[in-house]
Amino acid sequence: MNTMDHDALREAAGLYVLGALPADEGRQFEAHVSDCAECQREVRSLGAVVNLLPFGLPQIEPPLALRGRVLAATRADTGVSGAPPTLIRRRDFSRTVAWLGAAALLVFAAGLGAYTVSLRQRLATVEGQLREAVDRLNRGELLLASAEREADRAQVRLAVLMAPDMKQVTLAGQPPAPRAAGRAFFSASTGLVFAAANLPTLPPGRTYQLWFLTRSAPVSAGLINPDPGGRVTAAFDVPPAATGAAGLAVSIEPDGGVPAPTGAIYLAGTSR
Amino acid sequence: MLAGQSGSETADHSALERMSRGDHEAVAELYDRHGRIVYSLALRIVQDTADAEDVVQEVFSQAWRHASRYQAPRGSVVAWLMIMTRSRAIDRIRGRRSRPEPMDADAGPSDMPDTAAPVDEQLALTGQATQLRAAVEELSLLQRVAIELAFYEGLTHIEIAERLELPLGTVKTRIRQGLLKLKDRLAGAAR
Repeated sequence: MNTMDHDALREAAGLYVLGALPADEGRQFEAHVSDCAECQREVRSLGAVVNLLPFGLPQIEPPLALRGRVLAATRADTGVSGAPPTLIRRRDFSRTVAWLGAAALLVFAAGLGAYTVSLRQRLATVEGQLREAVDRLNRGELLLASAEREADRAQVRLAVLMAPDMKQVTLAGQPPAPRAAGRAFFSASTGLVFAAANLPTLPPGRTYQLWFLTRSAPVSAGLINPDPGGRVTAAFDVPPAATGAAGLAVSIEPDGGVPAPTGAIYLAGTSR
Repeated sequence: MLAGQSGSETADHSALERMSRGDHEAVAELYDRHGRIVYSLALRIVQDTADAEDVVQEVFSQAWRHASRYQAPRGSVVAWLMIMTRSRAIDRIRGRRSRPEPMDADAGPSDMPDTAAPVDEQLALTGQATQLRAAVEELSLLQRVAIELAFYEGLTHIEIAERLELPLGTVKTRIRQGLLKLKDRLAGAAR
């Protein structure tokens, strides 16, 4: 390789440790680095710099409850690392390590196979979140409500609660979930704030969907995802077709939601 | 100057070793020492407290599961936690946008050979955050924004160039210059 090509590669080291290389360039860089001591040094030294960046962030104290949650999660885990590492050639990976702090590299000398174990376990652990992310990607515009608009959430709730046209809707648990209960604050001009408790955990492939009950067909507000305790709060936009809604209902639907309700109703109520 | 740093690193290695033998108290110890920085990094990336809490839990669960693979004292446990945190946090925000994925900064093993840890890394463990922040402040706006877009939002250099409406070459150069400047400032501080 000539000097000019190598300079270009070495300059990619900084991008590599930041995780800023697209997959193909990253793989190319990794293939080179495994054989090049100079680039390894570059990765190590720049990786050490990148490692320090989080220490300059504002240090925010996590909620007290998180400690118990973390410890409970590890207690639930047997701590066994899983299947023995298997040898996987690097080019079989679609993902490989990008951000390499020099010292951190050294912890992972177990071999490439350990990565596949961690990926399986990680998928199992975050299955719910992945499902939700896929939901959002697959949903069409009609179904995609503003429920997850993070930054706006607090403002929407407050605005709804203070809106002059705010109506309260109490939802009662229906036969599939007699202990479930819900309450919503609905302002046709501003939005919908919804809260529920005691919603049963759904099997894989199923989700809860919230509907505005209008004089014509029900209009979807969006999908709701209770936590493991069966509780959920969410805020939604009110689509134009739903401004005259007189009630709300929650049904069980396939993952990703549907344009019209198909499944059993779990919660329902009308506004006063 | 590096007071307390070696103490923490030794204690971290000891905790990890005990975790590898199934000691749950060791997880508590690691969390008490590093939970805050893990949470702070997660929060910076995912910008949502519930998601950040999930990331923290995932990170410590992963640390717990992988502790048994831990080798004798080498490298920085905090750096290991940071890598996992960033990886999971970036994955989470990528799930919110449908984009083709760049290299995944996951905490997987690599086939890089074993090498000694650079001294600059130890600076982090002294808690000299002010020094780091000062070094970051010295970067030009473009250098800093480009680095932060890459590190905290998981964008590729192509995506950064699009976002900032700049030529790709400019973005790559700024990132490289910024990292070299940081390295220079922080290495100077460690002496």
